Amino acid sequence: MASPLISAAEVQWITAGVSFNIRNDGRQREDFRALSVQLGVITQATGSARVQLGETDVIVGVKAEIGSPDPDRPDCGRLVFGVECSPVASPAFRGRGGDELSGELARALERSFYPGPSGRAGGVDLSTLSIVSGKTCWVLYVDALLLNIGGNLHDALSVAAKAALADAKIPKVEVVQGEDPTDEPGYEVDDDPQWFSLYLYEPDYEVDDDPQQAQRLDVSRVPLCVTVSQIGAHSVVDLTAQEELCSSASVQVAVDESGVVCGLTKRRQKGVDPSVALEMVEVAQRSAAKLHAALAESLGGQQAQQMSVG
Amino acid sequence: MEYVSPEGLRLDGRRPKELRQLKAELGVLASADGSAMFEMGNTKVLAAVFGPKPVETRSQEDDKRCLVKCEYAMASFSTGERRRRGKGDRRATEITKAIRNCLEQTILVELMPRSQIDVYVQVLQADGGTRCACINAAFMALAAAAVPMRDILASCAAGYLESTALLDLNYVEDSGGGPDVAVAIHPNFDDRVVLLQQDNRVAIETFEEVLQLAVAGCRAVGEFMRQRLLEHTDALAAAREAGQPQEGAADDNEDALDEDDY
Repeated sequence: MASPLISAAEVQWITAGVSFNIRNDGRQREDFRALSVQLGVITQATGSARVQLGETDVIVGVKAEIGSPDPDRPDCGRLVFGVECSPVASPAFRGRGGDELSGELARALERSFYPGPSGRAGGVDLSTLSIVSGKTCWVLYVDALLLNIGGNLHDALSVAAKAALADAKIPKVEVVQGEDPTDEPGYEVDDDPQWFSLYLYEPDYEVDDDPQQAQRLDVSRVPLCVTVSQIGAHSVVDLTAQEELCSSASVQVAVDESGVVCGLTKRRQKGVDPSVALEMVEVAQRSAAKLHAALAESLGGQQAQQMSVG
Repeated sequence: MEYVSPEGLRLDGRRPKELRQLKAELGVLASADGSAMFEMGNTKVLAAVFGPKPVETRSQEDDKRCLVKCEYAMASFSTGERRRRGKGDRRATEITKAIRNCLEQTILVELMPRSQIDVYVQVLQADGGTRCACINAAFMALAAAAVPMRDILASCAAGYLESTALLDLNYVEDSGGGPDVAVAIHPNFDDRVVLLQQDNRVAIETFEEVLQLAVAGCRAVGEFMRQRLLEHTDALAAAREAGQPQEGAADDNEDALDEDDY
């Protein structure tokens, strides 16, 4: 972004406000801005959501494609994250201007969804995306587009990614027998670990395009990110673009619905005392509960509406 | 594939000379000076305008007119098959130039010497006719930013399949192998054509028919945009009277009115 400017007086004003627990827009330190979640904004995508957190505005589109699994996790599907900075958000994103920011944000998203070595411990149970072990699986491309930068991008992106995945309807796939006339199923796996996935003949897939048969992904364990920042000597959540310029240190914490911390990243220039860091994590846990509740409420309402229409 | 049924209906149920459903929304982005979302059926485009502002690169400064900068971007989820956008691929460069060319003919560039206007278009969903939707979105965003313009800039495409001229092709019809004529006009200057592009070969008589249909489509799109701008201006005026300025209401108001007088 074109380096935003802030004067010393403004910094002082915002910092003093935070210490009195009244911010410029009237919020308290642990309040989020108004959250608006719109599902299904991209009708051609498998799932999509537009999330507005105050002035910050992002769209996430999920596209499901049939692909091959990671050789390290043959019985799991894959999630691929991408973030694009639209020039619509800021002239600074013209050309390759947004590449560094988008790389950082994509990595942060990936981390909060990342599964353990088994592929099952992450926010999404990737084994539900497998079609034929070692050979085919669903690959979900989760692509985010930044439309307006108004502070606290990380948190808004994590909400949008979760909402879009919750909106995604994965078509039912049936593995049917290939050309071979024998009664064996469509493929055979050799026991020799060296030839772990040797296929004798190709199985066929039938993708059921009946939306009634499509399955939704279980996203109940997907964590949301809450970034807690230090302004003066206080921990504050959901900073506006202006407040971000007054903050010296922040910790981004991924917290799931039950309040378990799933990931942590320290950002910005200055260090924090370990005790302060712990306090910030506690603030994140408290705030995450509020954010989860707000998202669940808006998801529940919109999905019920879709059901009644469908 | 049958593009026009014996009853004269197209794949999506339209008549040959029917536009897709149009939607336009102004002032959708907080940080841009003007922004608009424009939809033609499933094609959905977002445009943002920054400026007029001082020229960024001094060497490009022009004492006679303002500089118009454009960029066209497609979201990776916008197409049927997911595709990583190659920034600055040839197609994008071509469309960028086409849009910029249309806008330079429409904006009163000579009123703003030594300045620059940035226009960015972002395709959110592509279903044929993206360049037309982009031009329409860019025009609406410029109007929302109160940039002085010569006229409404309206764009629409038409094609020819199975001996029928079809208006406003969608993606399936676009890939049908027939000619595709994209046109943009200034409806209040005797439909002066400011953009004309055609793919695939076509007999000159057919071309004339298709061109006329596209121009008629442009006129309809132009009328739709005029109505939307009037509604937008009314809403802004009402908001000002009520003393509750909407986003950017105060600065948009006067010039948006001028805009609609053309």
